[in-house]
Amino acid sequence: STVESSSRYQMLVNECQELLSKEQQLDELLHMCTTQLKLLTEESESQHLGYVTCQDLRSIADPSERMLMVIKAPPETQMQVSDPNEALQISLKSTRGPIDVFLCPDDSSGVC
Amino acid sequence: IGLPTNSAQECNNLEVERQRRLERIKQKQSQLQELILQQIAFKNLVQRNRQIEQSSNRPPPSNSVIHLPFIIVNTSKKTVIDCSISNDKFEYLFNFDNTFEIHDDIEVLKRMGMACGLESGTCSAEDLKTARSLVPKALEPYVTEMAQGSISNVYVSSNPVSN
Repeated sequence: STVESSSRYQMLVNECQELLSKEQQLDELLHMCTTQLKLLTEESESQHLGYVTCQDLRSIADPSERMLMVIKAPPETQMQVSDPNEALQISLKSTRGPIDVFLCPDDSSGVC
Repeated sequence: IGLPTNSAQECNNLEVERQRRLERIKQKQSQLQELILQQIAFKNLVQRNRQIEQSSNRPPPSNSVIHLPFIIVNTSKKTVIDCSISNDKFEYLFNFDNTFEIHDDIEVLKRMGMACGLESGTCSAEDLKTARSLVPKALEPYVTEMAQGSISNVYVSSNPVSN
């Protein structure tokens, strides 16, 4: 009936309005978060202290079974992983500097 | 109140619009969650390292630490890796004879527990307190929601409009 569709229409209008303001709120929070994270990672103290140790890495995977390779690449380095059905391959391409790759040792020397 | 004759069509348009907005909101919610996790994990790591350095009175030897950002390739010890490197070390090609996993640094930090278990809903009361202390005030309610595993419900309106 007209009454029904009129109330449904009104409900939809209200809901869309509500969703719009919720999305705007989310946008603001996302913006705040991104800015925060950017500032945080650019700060020299946190840059200096933003590291993990070899021990940390060993703790995330069983060192008697797993091998961990660490890749440190400059920003904008491209990483390509092949389709696993075709090949098990990773390629790295940097334009802004050399890439460092090393294995995380599984002994306790503490040296990477 | 008289409605225009095309009101059914308008209702359908609105319904589509509503779905679209819900989708976008869901996507933005998970984006926000991820950013919150990153922020907490990174700050936790920095705090931990600061404390260790202060208590031992010296920074760790530079050859024993890996600064962010980095990527980890995780594979079996038995995997044979064939690696070609260009002379300037700008290009690498790895061939594996077995499967491997790639993790980014944030994933590593999560596995180290730096995200206070928020990523998996295994957040104790103590963890939650720590996590909340690491984000700006406006984000505290979201951290609590994440700890309770209910953030995805925060915005989704309770009753879908039926046809």
